Amino acid sequence: MKKIRLGIFKYSCCAGCQFQFFFFQEHVLETLGAVDIVYCKMGTSGGKKEGPFDVALIEGAITESWQVDELKKIREVSRFLVPIGSCAVNGGIPAIKNIYPEIEVEKRVYKDLSVIHSVKAHPVDEYVRVDGYVRGCPMGERELLELLTSLLLNTKPSFPEYCVCVECKLKGNICLLVAEGKPCMGPVTNAGCGALCPSHGRACYGCWGPVSDANAPALAKKFEQLGLAPDDIVRKFTQFASPRIEFRKGAEMYE
Amino acid sequence: MSEKVISIDYLARVEGETAIKINIKGKEPQELKLKIFEPPRFFEGFLVGRKYYEVPDIVARICGICPVSHMTTALRAIEKAMGINPSQQTRILRRLMSLSQIASSHLIHLYILAMPDYYGYPGVQAMLPEFTEELSRLMRMKKVMNDLTAAIGGRALHPVSAVINGFTDLPSPQALKKLRQDLEKIEADAVKTVRMVSELSYPKFSRKAEYVALKAANRYAIMEGNIVSSDGLDIPEEDYEEYFEEEQVFYSMAKRAKVKGRGSLMVGALARLHINFDQLSPSVKKLAQEVGFKVPDYNPFHNNLAQSLEILYGIQECRQILENLKLSPENNSYRIRAGEGAAFSEAPRGLLYHQYAINAKGVIEKANIVTPTVHNFANIEEDLRHLVRQNSGLPEKKIALLCEMLVRAYDPCFSCSVH
Repeated sequence: MKKIRLGIFKYSCCAGCQFQFFFFQEHVLETLGAVDIVYCKMGTSGGKKEGPFDVALIEGAITESWQVDELKKIREVSRFLVPIGSCAVNGGIPAIKNIYPEIEVEKRVYKDLSVIHSVKAHPVDEYVRVDGYVRGCPMGERELLELLTSLLLNTKPSFPEYCVCVECKLKGNICLLVAEGKPCMGPVTNAGCGALCPSHGRACYGCWGPVSDANAPALAKKFEQLGLAPDDIVRKFTQFASPRIEFRKGAEMYE
Repeated sequence: MSEKVISIDYLARVEGETAIKINIKGKEPQELKLKIFEPPRFFEGFLVGRKYYEVPDIVARICGICPVSHMTTALRAIEKAMGINPSQQTRILRRLMSLSQIASSHLIHLYILAMPDYYGYPGVQAMLPEFTEELSRLMRMKKVMNDLTAAIGGRALHPVSAVINGFTDLPSPQALKKLRQDLEKIEADAVKTVRMVSELSYPKFSRKAEYVALKAANRYAIMEGNIVSSDGLDIPEEDYEEYFEEEQVFYSMAKRAKVKGRGSLMVGALARLHINFDQLSPSVKKLAQEVGFKVPDYNPFHNNLAQSLEILYGIQECRQILENLKLSPENNSYRIRAGEGAAFSEAPRGLLYHQYAINAKGVIEKANIVTPTVHNFANIEEDLRHLVRQNSGLPEKKIALLCEMLVRAYDPCFSCSVH
C-alpha cells in the first residue's frame, strides 16, 4: 500500500492536535507506519515545506497575515487540505477575542503594540478551500483514523454529522438539559466525543463546534427559561466557535 | 576576525514556534536572540469579561501537552480568590492527575522530541525500524499514564471532570485497581528509560543557574508550597510578584521573566531535583546514584536525565497514592465571592503561575499567567551565549546543532510561553 505523503502545519493554537497525532491516540505506531511525513516541524527536523502533499493537516486558527500566505501555498501543493481540531475548523478558543475590540484585548497583554501584528481569529476555510473537517478539541481520534484509513483505501471518509444528543441517547445517559435543567450545549454541538462531558455528569460546553443544522436561537431561549442571564447565554455561544454563524445566531439574540 | 552566522528559521521538535539567530565575531557571540514568533492568542486579554467557571476549560487550551497544569493552577487560583477550600480528596486527585501528566509529557519529550538528536535521526518516524523495543516501551508507558489522567479527568488531553471545588465524576474502584496493576507493570520500563537516557552522550557544559521550584514540607511539591531557589529565595506563593518581574522583548512574542535584582533563573525537572532531591523515594535516589546523577548539576542537557528520574518517581508515587485511595462523592457547592487569588504549580516544564481578580458577579477583571518557558527564557539565552563561546571554533552547522539540542533540553513550550 502506498504511504500517504503528509504535511502537518501549526498556526495559532495549543498544538494539542499534533500531540493527539504523535502521542495521545491509541494507534501511534500504526499511524506512523502508514504515512510518509514530508513536513512536520514538531515531529521532524528538516522536511519539505514545498510539498507536494497527498494531505495537508492544518491545526490552529489563522490570526496573522503570513499564515494566510503560507496557507494559500500549501493549498496549491496539496491534493487534500483538512483543518484538524476546533481552532482550525471553527476558530476555537483563540476566537473568543473576536467579540471584543481587538486593541482592547491586545493592550491588556502587551505594553508595546508596535510589534504585534494580529488580526481577528478565523477558521482555515475562511481563506482556502478545504476538503473536510476533523473536528474536536483535541481532534477526535476516530475521525483522524477514519481520515487516514480512507486516504489509504481511496474511499470517502465518514464523519458524524449529528449532534451530541444522539451519542447521549445511544449511551443511555439521562438528559442533563431536560431532567436536571443544566445548560447543555449538546443539542447544537457536533458529535464525535462520545458525549464525553454528559457521561461525566457535566453539561456539554460545545468544544467540537456547531453541528450543521444547529438551532442555536431555540437553545438560547431554553437557556433563558432555565434562568441564565443574557451575558451568560452570549458566553455559551462564543466560547469555542464564535466566528461560526450557527453559534452566532444564539449569541446575537442576547447581545 | 572570522564571522559566523547561526540562523535557524524554525526550530524543529519543540512545542511551538521559535527561531534562533546568533552572529559570532571571533569567539564572541555579538547578537544572540531566541526569536519566539509563536503568534499571540491573548488569553490574559480575552479572559477579562468571562465567567470564573469558564476559565479552567479555556486555559487548558493554552497547551496541548500540559493542559492539566493550566487547569489545576487556574482552579486553585480561583478557589483562593473566592475563599474556597477544596477537600483532601480533591487535592489528592489533582496531584494524581498532575503527576500522570508530568510523566506523560516527559515521555513525549525524551522519546519523540529529544532522542532523535542523540542517535542522529531527523525524527521518531525514521527511528521506527531500528528502535522497535524502545518505542514499544514508550507506547506501554504512555498508555498507562494517559489512562490514569483520563480515569480522573475524563480525558487525558483537555480533561473535563475537574471543576471548581472538586470533580463532576469519580473513577470506579475497579478502574483504580486496574491502574494500580498497570503502574506496577511499567515500573521496569521506567527504570530502563532512566538507563537509556543516562547513556546518551551529552555535550560537556556547565553554567551555574539559579534553580527555582516549589518546596513542601512533607512531599515532592507539585502544588502547594513555597517558592524556593538555590540562591536563597524562600517565599509564599502570594509574594511572587514582589520578587519576580516580566519584561516584553521586542524580538519575541513571549515575555521574559527574571528574579528582581538578580537576573535569569531555571525551572523544570532539573531545578526540581536540585531543590527537592531528598524527597524522592529511596529507590529513585539509588538509581540516580547508580547512573551518576547527583545535585548540584549545572549542565542543562542533564534536564533530560532529571526528567527520566521524575517519570520513575511519578509512577511509584501514583501507585502508592492509589493503594490507599478510597473515594466517595462529595458536596462541591460553594458561594461566588469577589476577590483576588494567585496559585503556582509545577508543570512538566517547571513553575507555572496563574493569578485572577474576580468581581462579585463572578466575572474575571484581571488575569495574569506566567509559564515555565517564560521563566526559562533568559536562562536559555545565557546558556546559548556560553555554549557558543565555548564552541566558537566549530563549523557553523555543528554549533547550530548544539544550540538546537540545548534549547530542546529545556523542553520549552513556546505555545505556553506566548499564550
